[in-house]
Amino acid sequence: MDRFELICPAGTPAALRAAVEAGADAVYLGFRDETNARNFPGLNFTRQDLAESIAFAHARRVQVFVAINTYPEAGNLAPWHRAVDDAARLKADAVILADLGLLDYAARTHPELRLHLSVQASAANAEAIRLYRDAFGVRRIVLPRVLTVPEIAKLNAEVDVETEVFVFGGLCPMAEGRCSLSSYATGLSPNKQGVCSPASHVRYEPRGKALASTLGGFTINVFGEGENAGYPTLCKGRFVARDTAAYLFEEPTSLNAMDLLPELKSAGVRALKIEGRQRGKAYIGAVVRAYREALDAFAAGRPVPRIDLQAMVEGGTQTTGAYTRAWR
Amino acid sequence: MRDPDAVLDADAESIADGRARLIEAELSRAGLGLVLRMGDRGSGLLLDRLVRLLAIRHPRAFVAMREMPDARVLIEPTDARVALLLRVGPELSLRLRPCQARKDGAAATDGMADAVISGPYARLLDLLEGRIDGDALFFRRELSIAGDTALIVALRNTLDGEEMDLLADALSFAGPLASLLPVLRRNAGPLLDRLADARRLLPPPLKWGIARIEARLPGFGPGREA
Amino acid sequence: MKPSLTLGPVLFNWSVDRWCDFYARIADEAPVDTVVVGEIVCHKRAPFFAVAMQSVVERLAAAGKTVWLASPILVGSERERAAMRELVSPGNALSDATMIEANDMGALALLAGRPHAVGPTINVYNEATLGWLAGRGAVAVSLPAELPAASVAALAKAAAGVGTAVEVQAWGRAPLAISARCYHARAHGLHKDGCQFVCAGDPDGMPVATMDGQPFLTVNGTQTLSHGYLCLAEELEELTAMGVGRFRLSPQVVDMVRVAEAFRDLLDGRREGGAVAAELAGLTEAPLVNGFFHDSAGARRIVGASHRV
Repeated sequence: MDRFELICPAGTPAALRAAVEAGADAVYLGFRDETNARNFPGLNFTRQDLAESIAFAHARRVQVFVAINTYPEAGNLAPWHRAVDDAARLKADAVILADLGLLDYAARTHPELRLHLSVQASAANAEAIRLYRDAFGVRRIVLPRVLTVPEIAKLNAEVDVETEVFVFGGLCPMAEGRCSLSSYATGLSPNKQGVCSPASHVRYEPRGKALASTLGGFTINVFGEGENAGYPTLCKGRFVARDTAAYLFEEPTSLNAMDLLPELKSAGVRALKIEGRQRGKAYIGAVVRAYREALDAFAAGRPVPRIDLQAMVEGGTQTTGAYTRAWR
Repeated sequence: MRDPDAVLDADAESIADGRARLIEAELSRAGLGLVLRMGDRGSGLLLDRLVRLLAIRHPRAFVAMREMPDARVLIEPTDARVALLLRVGPELSLRLRPCQARKDGAAATDGMADAVISGPYARLLDLLEGRIDGDALFFRRELSIAGDTALIVALRNTLDGEEMDLLADALSFAGPLASLLPVLRRNAGPLLDRLADARRLLPPPLKWGIARIEARLPGFGPGREA
Repeated sequence: MKPSLTLGPVLFNWSVDRWCDFYARIADEAPVDTVVVGEIVCHKRAPFFAVAMQSVVERLAAAGKTVWLASPILVGSERERAAMRELVSPGNALSDATMIEANDMGALALLAGRPHAVGPTINVYNEATLGWLAGRGAVAVSLPAELPAASVAALAKAAAGVGTAVEVQAWGRAPLAISARCYHARAHGLHKDGCQFVCAGDPDGMPVATMDGQPFLTVNGTQTLSHGYLCLAEELEELTAMGVGRFRLSPQVVDMVRVAEAFRDLLDGRREGGAVAAELAGLTEAPLVNGFFHDSAGARRIVGASHRV
C-alpha cells in the first residue's frame, strides 16, 4: 500500500520553505483575501508569492494545494473565480474547495484541475462524498473532524475516493463550515470572511494577576495566574452552564493523532494533514519535521518515535479528538 | 545510520548555538541601552538608518508594514530598560523608549501605542526573527499582549514571513563590525562566561559597570577597566 | 406570489406528549402555511417521536397545512446514515406523500431529481450554489441565518429567475453550530452514549453565560443556538420587497400561535413591524436580535436601520 502523504500548512512563503525543507509531501496555502478560511492579517500569498512558491516546491518534488474554501459572497463571485483561475494558471497541483457553486465553476472551467473537497464542506457520509465525486469529479475529500476511525474505515471501504484527515493542530469541536458562532459574536465568520474569532475583535485585559480574553465584547475566558492560555476562539472558551464555569465545548487543546497511524492506515486514509496556516514558521518546521520522522519510521516498519510536540500545543495538552468515540 | 560522534558534535553545536544566541541577546540588549543614551536625535538618526537598511534587505515585509494602517506597537522587554516603539503604515519608523515601570503588562499605554507586546527580551528577539513560535509563547503566558490584537497578529505574521537575522542586519550597517558576528557566534561560550562572571563579581552599586563591558564587546576594541 | 409562513421543526427535546399537543394546537390555531416536522438534532431522540409522527403529519395535513419532513443536520455514524436513508429513499410511505427538507449533503444527494426543499443547515451563500441546487430539484431554499441583507437580496433575485422559493428565518433562536459531541451531556458530566437524555430538562435549551454572567448562547444537545431570539419583524417589509417569499418561525417554548398570528398580521399589512417586535419582545426574557441581517454581530439588535444598498 502507498505511503501516507504529509500535507502541511503555510501562511507565508517563508513558512512554505520551512515546510518543504522539513519534509512535506504537499503544502496547502491560500490567497491574501477572503477566498480562504485563514484570512488573517499579514498572512497568505500574493499571485507572485504563489508563482515563486510553486517553483520552489516543484523543484523539490513537493506539491502545492491552494485552499479557496470560503463560500463566495452572493452577487460577488468574481474574486473566487479569479482565485480558481489563477491557481490553475500558476499550475497549482490542486485546489481545495467547499462551495457547490464554486466546485461547479471549477469543474466546468478547468476540467484538468484537480479538485479536493475542503473540510469546510463537512462531507461526513458516503452519500455526500459520492455526490461531490460524481457531480464535480472531486478526487480527494478532507474529512470533517467529527468522525471516529471506524467510521472513516467504513467510508473508505464504501466510496472510491481519496481521503485526507487532520492529524495535528487546532481542533474544531463543531462540524466545520457549519458554524456561525464567530459571526454571532463579531459579525465575521469562517464561511463568509474566512476568519474565526478574528483578532480585530479580541482584547486581552489583565484582571489582577488573571488574564481575561474577550471577543466582540463577550468574555471568552479568564486565565488564572500561571494557567496556560489558549486562543480566544469562541468554542475553546470557558462558559457558565448549570452554575459551573467550564470548557463547555472543548478544552484549549491540540489534536495529535501520531499514535493512531496504524489505525488510520488500516482505515484506508491516503493523506495526513497538519493544521496551522496561521502559525509561525518555527511551529511549522518543528511539527512537519516530527511527522516526517514518524511517517518514515512507520513506512519502514520501525517503531514510531515518541516525539515531543508538547511545547507547540495550545493549552499544553493534546487529544486524539473525535477519532476516538470517548470524545463525544 | 548515524555516527555517534556526529550526534555528539551536533549536540555540542546546538549547545554552542544556544549560547551564541544568549550572548547575542545580551549584547543587543545592552546595545539598545547605549543607543537610548545617545538622545532622541542621535538615536532617531541611527534607527532611521537601520530601518532603511532592513527595508532594502527585506522588501516583502517592509512593503507590507508600510501598507498597514498607521499604528504604533510598543515592543517592551520585561527585563530591560528600553522598549522599541514601532510605527507601521506609511510613516514607518522605529524609536526607543525607556521602559515604564508598571505592575501589570497591560497598564495604560498613555496613548503612546495602539498595542503592546511584552515578554523577556531574548524571547522578543526570537519572535521578531521568527525563530520561535509566538503562539506557543503566548499559550505558556511568556508573552503578553494588550491593545489592538489584530495589529500584533498582522505584525507577527508579516515578520514571520521573512527570514531575518536582525543582529547580522544591525551590525552590517556598522561596516567592518559585521565581520565580527560570525567570530562572536563561534566564541559565544567564553564571552558569555565573561559576562556572567562580570555580573557576579560586581557589587550591586557597580552594576552600571556591566554596561561598559557589554559596550566594549561588540567591537572587541580596547576599553577601560570597569 | 403571496408570502407564506413556515413553522420549522421543533429543535428541542420535548416530551412526546408536549410535542403532539404542540402540533395539535398548531394544526388548529396557527396561521402558518407549511410545517416542517422531524427530529433533526439528535438521532437518539428520534425513536420517541417516530411513534407519533404519522398521526402528527396527518393531523397537520387535515388542517390544511403543507407538511414537509426534515432530514437530520449531522449524518456521520452508521445509525444516523441508516435513519437518513430510510427517511429520504423512495418507498417510505410517509415521505413519499410529503416533501423532504434536506439538512445535510447526503440527503441532498439521495433526493436528486425529485422535488425537495433545502434546509438552512445546507450552505447556500450565493446564486451559483442556489442555481445548481435548483437544477437538481430544489423548489425551496431556506437560507443560513448568518446571511446579511445584501446576500439575501441577491439570492432572492436569483431564485426568482430559476423558479425556486427563498426562505429566511424570522423568529426563534438562530442555529449556530452542530457537533458530534453532546454538550448537554458534557455539562452534566456524562458521555453522549450514556446521556440519560438530560437535554429533556431544558425545553428551550440550556442557557450558557460568559464568566462575567452575561447570557450568551443556548445548548441543545449537539446543537448550539443563540441566546437571543432572532426576530426580523421590523425587516419583513424589506424582505418581501427583495422577493423573499417564505418566512420561517422556529419553535420555542413561547406561545407560537401568537407568534404566527403576529407575523401573519404583518404579512397581511394589518400591523407594523415595530409594534409586532415590541409585542414579541414581551414573550421572552431573552433579547430579540437581528444583527446578522444588518451585517453585524448576530447577537446585536439594530434598531431603525432602513438604509440598504
